[in-house]
Amino acid sequence: MEKDNILEVKGLHKRFTSKNVTVRAVTDVSFSVKEGETIGIVGESGCGKTTLGRCIVRAYGASEGEVFYRTKDGEELDFLKADKKKMKDIRKDIQMIFQDPYSSLDPRMTVLDIIKEPLRANYPNMSKSEMDQRAKDMAAKVGLNPTYLMRYPHAFSGGQRQRIGIARALVINPRIIVCDEAVSALDVSIQAQVINLLKDLQKEFKLTYIFISHDLSVVEHISDKVGVMYLGRLVEYGSTEDIFAHPKHPYTEALMSAVPVADPTYRRERIPLKGEIPNPANPPSGCYFHTRCRYCTEKCSLETPEYREVEPGHFVACSRCGEIELTGFDYSLLNKAD
Amino acid sequence: MAKKKSKEDYYLASQWTLMARKLKKHKLARVSFLILAILYIAALFADFLAPYGLEEFDGLYKNTAPTNIYSVYEGENIGPYVLKITKSINKTDFTVTIGEDLSEYYKIKFFVHGTPYKILGFIPCDLHLFGVGEGSKGGTGAKIFLFGADSLGRDIFSRVLLGARISLTIPFASAIISFFLGILIGSISGYFGGVTDIIIQRIIEVIGAVPQIPLWMALSAAIPPGISTIKMYFYMTLILSFINWTGMARVVRGKFLSLKNEDYVMAARISGVSTWKIIWKHLVPGFMSYLIVSMTLGIPGSIVGETSMSYLGLGIKSPATSWGVLLQEASSVTDIASHPHKLIPIIFVTITVLAYNFLGDGLRDAADPYK
Amino acid sequence: MEKDNIIEVKDLHVDIKMLEGLLTPVRGVNFEIKKGETLGLVGESGCGKSITCKAILGINEKKCVPHGEIMFRTTDDEEIDLLSLNPRGKEIRDIRGKQISMIFQEPMVAFSPMYTIGNQINECTLLHITKDKKKAKEITLEVMRKVGIANVEKRYKQYPHEFSGGMLQRALIAMALVCYPKLLIADEPTTALDVTIQAQILELMKELQKEFNMAILFITHDLGVVANMCDRVAVMYLGRIVETGDAKTIYANPQHPYTRGLMGSVHKIGGRKDERLFSIEGTVPLAMNLPKACGFYDRCDARIEGLCDKAEPELVEIEPGHKIACFNCQNPACIAHREAAMEQIKEDEAKAAAEAEENAKGGKKRGKR
Repeated sequence: MEKDNILEVKGLHKRFTSKNVTVRAVTDVSFSVKEGETIGIVGESGCGKTTLGRCIVRAYGASEGEVFYRTKDGEELDFLKADKKKMKDIRKDIQMIFQDPYSSLDPRMTVLDIIKEPLRANYPNMSKSEMDQRAKDMAAKVGLNPTYLMRYPHAFSGGQRQRIGIARALVINPRIIVCDEAVSALDVSIQAQVINLLKDLQKEFKLTYIFISHDLSVVEHISDKVGVMYLGRLVEYGSTEDIFAHPKHPYTEALMSAVPVADPTYRRERIPLKGEIPNPANPPSGCYFHTRCRYCTEKCSLETPEYREVEPGHFVACSRCGEIELTGFDYSLLNKAD
Repeated sequence: MAKKKSKEDYYLASQWTLMARKLKKHKLARVSFLILAILYIAALFADFLAPYGLEEFDGLYKNTAPTNIYSVYEGENIGPYVLKITKSINKTDFTVTIGEDLSEYYKIKFFVHGTPYKILGFIPCDLHLFGVGEGSKGGTGAKIFLFGADSLGRDIFSRVLLGARISLTIPFASAIISFFLGILIGSISGYFGGVTDIIIQRIIEVIGAVPQIPLWMALSAAIPPGISTIKMYFYMTLILSFINWTGMARVVRGKFLSLKNEDYVMAARISGVSTWKIIWKHLVPGFMSYLIVSMTLGIPGSIVGETSMSYLGLGIKSPATSWGVLLQEASSVTDIASHPHKLIPIIFVTITVLAYNFLGDGLRDAADPYK
Repeated sequence: MEKDNIIEVKDLHVDIKMLEGLLTPVRGVNFEIKKGETLGLVGESGCGKSITCKAILGINEKKCVPHGEIMFRTTDDEEIDLLSLNPRGKEIRDIRGKQISMIFQEPMVAFSPMYTIGNQINECTLLHITKDKKKAKEITLEVMRKVGIANVEKRYKQYPHEFSGGMLQRALIAMALVCYPKLLIADEPTTALDVTIQAQILELMKELQKEFNMAILFITHDLGVVANMCDRVAVMYLGRIVETGDAKTIYANPQHPYTRGLMGSVHKIGGRKDERLFSIEGTVPLAMNLPKACGFYDRCDARIEGLCDKAEPELVEIEPGHKIACFNCQNPACIAHREAAMEQIKEDEAKAAAEAEENAKGGKKRGKR
């Protein structure tokens, strides 16, 4: 593992098989994360970003691949293959925040119990009073009134429930948090509150985020690096500015041009993307994107492009990279209003 | 102020509190619960409430209709009393006329000493709620048969009460057994899935495909004859549970499968909660309410089952009695035509079944307070 | 009604009687849409935008009682008040689907799974255009082509589950447009769709709008979509319109504190990253038993105590085409509105004080007896 990296995903695959159909939800995804960074993973339906997040956290078992993790003590191991004993130690280091504030909390438990549950599971010798105190402290940190903790989830709004979910994830001091569409189900003004909270917590607890979302404005705001997924593959990965302003993959270009910008004066040419997202159970041959790509050549339909580093820190899976000129957001036009 | 308090109550209300609140609003369920409570309490105190024991009979009173209760005797209001019956046979056409002897009256007394019984099986007692003692002129032999008498002269009212002890508890006991069997097998099926699940599901389907009553008949034919009542009770309970657990196992399995994929279960797994704890803390409370509904709605079937089996002579046998046995004693058409009071046990069976159904309905509506 | 306007909503209120009190999800909505223009109705959940647009077509639930006026200019150039029509009557059914159409958020559930798509779109054609089955089918196929569905003959016979989300939305648009309506109400039509599909659908809507010269009432909470699609914007909060104006003005110079808060909550792509997003404190209150005050009072960073909690601001024009409902603005029209409101409050307080005195006196008298 490289020195600053806390996580290195290598060749991750996840296949779901039912009857005779195999769906390749995640195919050959590799990327690295430095400690303290926020990595945004974006893509549309069927791209596999949620599955990717769940494989990293070991909620699903990956079909192939490794997730190298550097522990607090500096030990490097494959998170996916760690044995039961080791997992007891490091399970709490990688946690998750869920999308749906209504199904992510057990309606039959009080909020205090929900937040305490990870403590009970990981620190069996901790006294009840200490657990209570820790839970209350964490609740206060995420902006919940500690006196309301004896209530049940149905007493709270969507935004508050999301905060409960965040408290639950943080109470065992993880180092990496996978945020699976953590703000998508919230109203705009509540989203802002929760995003600010996540940023504050990141600073305070030195967290590393893997932020999965379909909302590109939120991703641009919060991420240092961005990975773009299409039909299970990571097609481009690089710094936020590179991805948004200088994309090198035709899908990224089309995606960026489709995002509506909250500025009526910003006009740019939309890159039309014909057709529909193919069925993940039956992906196209060669480059998965070739059926909708306007730069497609015959080679693209035959060969799967190699995922390679075309500039320092900027990875692309396109065989025509370098031959084609792509456009992204024009930051100079957008920043003028500020 | 009242509004604020009720809002806070709502926030602090657990699943059971919310369910209970919803259930209270269901009028029919409330009434049913009351009726069932009365029936079970009556069964509990059956020895005390029934004026006569199981073995008591009086040949004079064979097949008589329910005893009339009067309060005015020769113009005077002397409180409730009964008259002894008289039987006379017409020598020409051999018809029997039943009348009442107006010469003396027998007052109905409360808290009388009558046939001895044992509380809890070992404490001897002979106190009964009501009964008929000596007549106004010192005569004996009058009976108070509130529901009339059967073909041997036994009090149907007493027998209904004493039979209730079996007819009300066997279905309940078998429901409890099915409950635990259902949880166990349903959990295994739902949690492990795969081949285990397939096998268990097929077994459930086979059991469900066999017609119930013939299945029960076949199973009870396997019971050795001439065994004690208690053993019979035990066997009956098991036989009735044999079919009922399947319904509950299905409920548990179904809920398991759907709850397994809830985000909060995944969150618990990711936090490192052990599998056993997940099942216990998250999945079991999730299906508990549905299971209780399923159990309640399964009891009527067991009641009818026990009644049917005893009626067919396959279940409880004399001298013990259940409502089914009582109905068996009224099984000829001519018998019922002449003595319709022998069908009174049916009313009790019907009321109990309806009450359980309505209660189950109310529970089902209240079962998921989060919907 | 002004000549250019296709619809004018005047002082629309919708009440719902509930056990706990009177719910008022719409409390005085005013807006108008010109022929061929797109008005964006922006607001978060709970602001009442869906109920408003359902009230236009009279398809609210029975327990919703609308008051006010909704003036609509029909194709025969008549001006009728839609609220005066019987919601189950023939007149409004003549308008629904024919002159005013609506498309919804989730195309997956807007179609019945029991019938083919062609059959369902055709139902509209047969109802409003022609009873001739052959002719109707031709018209239906034509409009399906127009919305960009390929292989229309084949697609006509397919069922909803065989269509993707984007295709279904196109089919829904086809069904809405088959009669060339004058006004299309689009209730969050792209919220459930992927970004690239959303872009396709929005472009389609713009093209069709030009071709059909149709006005669109576009309801959404996505500020990016509004900037892209709408000529004018109306911002809604807690059942009232708090700001209206053309899109460029509203985005460049939002005046109402809620609009400003909303704009600040959304990160604009290309904007500075280290800045905190502006977050409006608090949450939307329940629209029940609301006091006579500005709905935004609890969460407003520009509130004036003694004024904003005692009176409700009305929409006031601060520049041509730009209206806001706020007391705290430096514009002369606003100032005049503010002063008038303060006067009214003083009057009301004086009245209340006088009444209280009278009651006290009367009470004393009664007490003595």
